[in-house]
Amino acid sequence: MIQLEHLTKEYNGVRAVNDLTTEIPDGEIFGLLGPNGAGKSTTILMLTGLIEPTSGHCLIGGLDVARDPIRVKQQIGYMPEDVGFYASLSAEENLTYFGRLYGMDTPACKERSAELLSLVGLDGVTKDVGGYSKGMRQRLGLAKALLNDPAVIILDEPTANLDPQGVADYRRIITEVARQGKTVVVSSHILEEVSRVSTTVGILSKGRLIAQGSWRDLARDLSGRADTHVTILVETRDPMPDLVHPDLVSINYEHDRRGVVIVASSDIRDAISDSLALAGIRIRSLSREGLTLEETFLSYYQVAG
Amino acid sequence: MARNGLTTIAAKEFFDHLHSRKFLLIFGILLIVAIVGMIGGISDYNKNLEDYNKHQSTIDSPLSSYMAEKPSILSVFSSVATYLVFVGGILGIAMGFDLVSKEKESKSLKILLSHPVYRDEVINGKALGGIAALAGALFVVLFIALATLLVYGIVPDGNELILIGIFGLASFLLIFAYFAIALFMSTIMDESGSALIYTVIIFIALSALIPTLASTTVTELVIGNPPELPRELIDQMQQPANTSEVSGVTVTFASKGNNGAWDEFGERMQAYSEKRQMVYSTLALFSPTMNYDAITSAVTQQYSSRAMVIGSRGSTTTTAAFSVGTSGDVGLEDLLYPIIASIIALLLFPVVFFGLAYLRFMRLDVR
Repeated sequence: MIQLEHLTKEYNGVRAVNDLTTEIPDGEIFGLLGPNGAGKSTTILMLTGLIEPTSGHCLIGGLDVARDPIRVKQQIGYMPEDVGFYASLSAEENLTYFGRLYGMDTPACKERSAELLSLVGLDGVTKDVGGYSKGMRQRLGLAKALLNDPAVIILDEPTANLDPQGVADYRRIITEVARQGKTVVVSSHILEEVSRVSTTVGILSKGRLIAQGSWRDLARDLSGRADTHVTILVETRDPMPDLVHPDLVSINYEHDRRGVVIVASSDIRDAISDSLALAGIRIRSLSREGLTLEETFLSYYQVAG
Repeated sequence: MARNGLTTIAAKEFFDHLHSRKFLLIFGILLIVAIVGMIGGISDYNKNLEDYNKHQSTIDSPLSSYMAEKPSILSVFSSVATYLVFVGGILGIAMGFDLVSKEKESKSLKILLSHPVYRDEVINGKALGGIAALAGALFVVLFIALATLLVYGIVPDGNELILIGIFGLASFLLIFAYFAIALFMSTIMDESGSALIYTVIIFIALSALIPTLASTTVTELVIGNPPELPRELIDQMQQPANTSEVSGVTVTFASKGNNGAWDEFGERMQAYSEKRQMVYSTLALFSPTMNYDAITSAVTQQYSSRAMVIGSRGSTTTTAAFSVGTSGDVGLEDLLYPIIASIIALLLFPVVFFGLAYLRFMRLDVR
């Protein structure tokens, strides 16, 4: 289990993470969501023992990360967002070196490396890591994170540079390791990706955890709030005049004014239809969009902001 | 699981250095200049030895007892030291300037520190790997130098081997000093390019600026000009004169005249020289290059006047003191005593800069 207790980190008096308290049970895939600057990476750096909190504690498996970093690091596998390796070494040599740092002997390192490189689709690649694409490095990063068979896997923006096949492989691997009872923490701003793999989501905004729960629960909780904003798409055969309505929040016309995206505080589809018919504009389609992942997410920020 | 972070990191760094193109290139240059220096030194040594043997065969000459000093094998290393002071410094810098900054640039530092290793294991391992590679390189250079001696039929005795060992140790400390400076810059800079530039600036300051400041002209600006010879003594000198030598400085004085004035002038000169020597020696302590010069000069020119111990090559021109020099063979203690400050100073450079690098690395913000 991962426990964060009033975790706070300040940089030059500015709170990057502010009084963060939560628990992540074993076997969960926890998605840490938030825009740039929300405090995701800082939280992860504190979880991995790379930086110390200004106050509060991170506990992994009951061990305080700041007080017992070596034992904690034995239990975790970490892949940073900007994953870096030794360019003059091959993937196997990199993994063997890191394996030695976990106390594994060289034959065990080589055996584990071969297994993991096959898992992430890098088997048979013998060139030095310096010649790898970003996607290949990310695959290698995932292999590195699994090297010591950790109980907790912490991944920062794991799919940022992956191709569709790489993303599919990543999802398969993460789902499999969670099935084995391991805890996975995934930090990302790609909502779709988090919703696909995460069992629980925590949303960070300005260093604060503003929501946590399963994605389904989160969406349900938000539905009332999201219903107050309606997105309406209109397509017409003729160019539209300016539309005016008291409930209009925003309106974005296409270049030829034959399409428009309207956000309103109520469902004003009838009013729009009447106005367009009165102006002699032929309507091709008029629809209300459902609550998207992005809208749910943004709605939280509007509340938090 | 056994804790083996230090040895794992040190071993990786060591082999990284051995496979590094820059290390191999500079090491190759170092080997070439060492061999060329040795051959030149051996040639001079053989010539001096021949002169010595000639003097021995003409022992009847009244001057023969003064001039007949058998040349030291260590003099062969004098020209090696001249090259080593420059190429060795560059080697130390080349091996240290990107040790930490390259990991910052490639983002591998974050990955490395996320492993179960203490930060001190990382910085110590990097330093140990570098030191081992430097020591190995220097050992090879000294081994080849000794082999060259043997090829030319010159066999050093036990004392000479000890002195060669001291020479090797001083050379190692010099290279280690610049390695530690480069490592320190590597920990405080985010980019290897900046670390290299600042290290080179420090190298120039320590190996060229300080010797320049310590030179006669600059020192005289600080402590003033040497005392002038009084007019009455100059007048006396117009008369037919005898010559006398005081520690290598030839002073001409009248055969008869004011001995008190001469004594007074001598005392003033003595005080001035001591003051100048003190300024020079103090400044020299702040330069690994000058300390190295002092040590290697003492080792390789062990039969020279004691007053010549501090700085005798290149820009570090010696200020001859008025103290009477001792000629002839000297014991190890006699040899080390005048240069003990230089040895300690040369030892302090790597200690201080590695200590700073250590402290900086332990507090490094990894984001």
